[in-house]
Amino acid sequence: MLTTGPATCASSGPAIPRTEPTGYDVFGLHLPEVERVARWSRFAFERYFRVDASGHEHVPLVGPAILVSNHSGMLPVDATMLWLDVFRRTGRVVRTIADRFVPRLPFVSTLFSRVGVVSGSRPNVRWLLEHGELVAIFPEGTTGPGKSMAQHYHLQDWRVGHVEFAIRHRVPIIPIAIIGAEESWPLLARIPHVHLFGAPYLPLPVSLVPLPVRFHIHYGAPIRFDDPPASADDPEVLARAAAITRGAVERLIAHGLIARDQGRGQ
Amino acid sequence: MRVLVTGATAPSGEALIRALLADRAIEHVLAVGLDAQPVLLPASPRLTYRACDLTRPRAAHDLLFGQGLALGIDAIVHGALHRRASDHGARVHAQNVETTRELLTASARHPTVRRFVFVGTAEVYALRAAEPTLLDEDAALEFDPGAPQWIRDRVEADLTVCAQLTASALRPIVLRCAEVIAPGAGSQLWDYLQSRVCLRPLGFDPMINVLSREDQVRAIQRALASPHVGVCNIAGAETWPLSAIVARWGRVGLPVPGPMLAPLYRLRSWTVGFEFRYDRNARRFHFGGVVDGRRAEDALGYRPTTPIAWPVASHGARLA
Repeated sequence: MLTTGPATCASSGPAIPRTEPTGYDVFGLHLPEVERVARWSRFAFERYFRVDASGHEHVPLVGPAILVSNHSGMLPVDATMLWLDVFRRTGRVVRTIADRFVPRLPFVSTLFSRVGVVSGSRPNVRWLLEHGELVAIFPEGTTGPGKSMAQHYHLQDWRVGHVEFAIRHRVPIIPIAIIGAEESWPLLARIPHVHLFGAPYLPLPVSLVPLPVRFHIHYGAPIRFDDPPASADDPEVLARAAAITRGAVERLIAHGLIARDQGRGQ
Repeated sequence: MRVLVTGATAPSGEALIRALLADRAIEHVLAVGLDAQPVLLPASPRLTYRACDLTRPRAAHDLLFGQGLALGIDAIVHGALHRRASDHGARVHAQNVETTRELLTASARHPTVRRFVFVGTAEVYALRAAEPTLLDEDAALEFDPGAPQWIRDRVEADLTVCAQLTASALRPIVLRCAEVIAPGAGSQLWDYLQSRVCLRPLGFDPMINVLSREDQVRAIQRALASPHVGVCNIAGAETWPLSAIVARWGRVGLPVPGPMLAPLYRLRSWTVGFEFRYDRNARRFHFGGVVDGRRAEDALGYRPTTPIAWPVASHGARLA
């Protein structure tokens, strides 16, 4: 059913996302804006969250792939640090898949679209993979950022959309564990009946800004599913494949937590 | 091929007729419009003009089974929809929907007509935060009963053609075209850009795909030549943020809180008389929506190539 190995793909795409002659792609990605945001975020990346990474050689330099990670925090600081880490190391712009309420957020929606964030719908993701893009999906969805402190590093709902795309488009999945994000902006409570801008709940964080917790990003070996593309419609195949990616992320989390604890002990 | 073109006196119809006459594979063009004397159509022995009010079912029928049959028309290009967004009522509905239905059903039993090209619009798609940014032909259509008649009529006309896709020997095709920014095209963006200061929603800068008239004409020609039956999005060569469209038109973009825009543009419409209606564009100006033209590329061999003739090439640099 699956093999692991180098994240090269049958169809290769560009290292830099394709943009139209206008300089924008159809979703609004604008490379000068990407570079500007990367410059502005330097302090947060290097000094505030002191991001380090291992296994980044698993991120393909060309061609489509799906990055799959744990998710947490009131705002997507983890997704931002992952985006920055991949951009700084490979020059590739990760196309992060956001929840469907994000386009309703003023200012945020525009900024996100300029740096490559795309609303989570099938036609959007299909287009990205067919154009050789590096897509980041957080299968926990909004349940990830809604974790209580007791649920830190315990994966919540693990949706199957990412494996469906991986099987249908024959692209590898790179499992990722982000350590540190879950403590950086813990949630005190969430108010489920308040849907500001269509968000599923109103988060009440412990602090107004994220805490300066050190981030460690662990990239795992690519997972390739050898199932025929038609099997992407089979719920059992998808459930089995999603269990494999979930297991891979859980192992990376466990390994990352041990490595962090050992680092603290030294 | 002998082609009947409706809306012949509109700028897009005229451009299409000129392109068809330049194509030696087109034996004859029967141009149909409301004007008694079309001043802009070229003189050609391969062109026949007929003034006809297609909202009258008998007139549409007689056109097809009279002059149409005599000329051996084998394809119809229908895009004569009402262009003014502020007009509404039964007559507008008749022009947009009943005319389409009448032409289509008459064509289905016509002895020579075998191809029906409906020039529709991509504005039939529902634009919501939860809908895809990239709109393929399977994207949700706008069925909001609160939508303006301009859109509801276009959705109904589009679906009227879709209902006939496999119902007869006729080979219909629906072209859902991105917006052509040009006068006389029913373009809301064109009207929007006529003000020196263009208001846009604060905090939002959606992506908008625009189609040149040349590309639209080429897509229709491809549709005439192709045997493909179904729906195809016709995308333009350029996709810009709304703010960049405003800048490239040499206008000043002024972000204003969203709720203020509809009353401000209504006031503008009452006082100055422009056609732009913010309620028709509110979702597009917030969430965007770009048509995915890959099916047209595969099925028709159409790929947009012609950029828009922007008044301003880049920020601050006006074209000679």
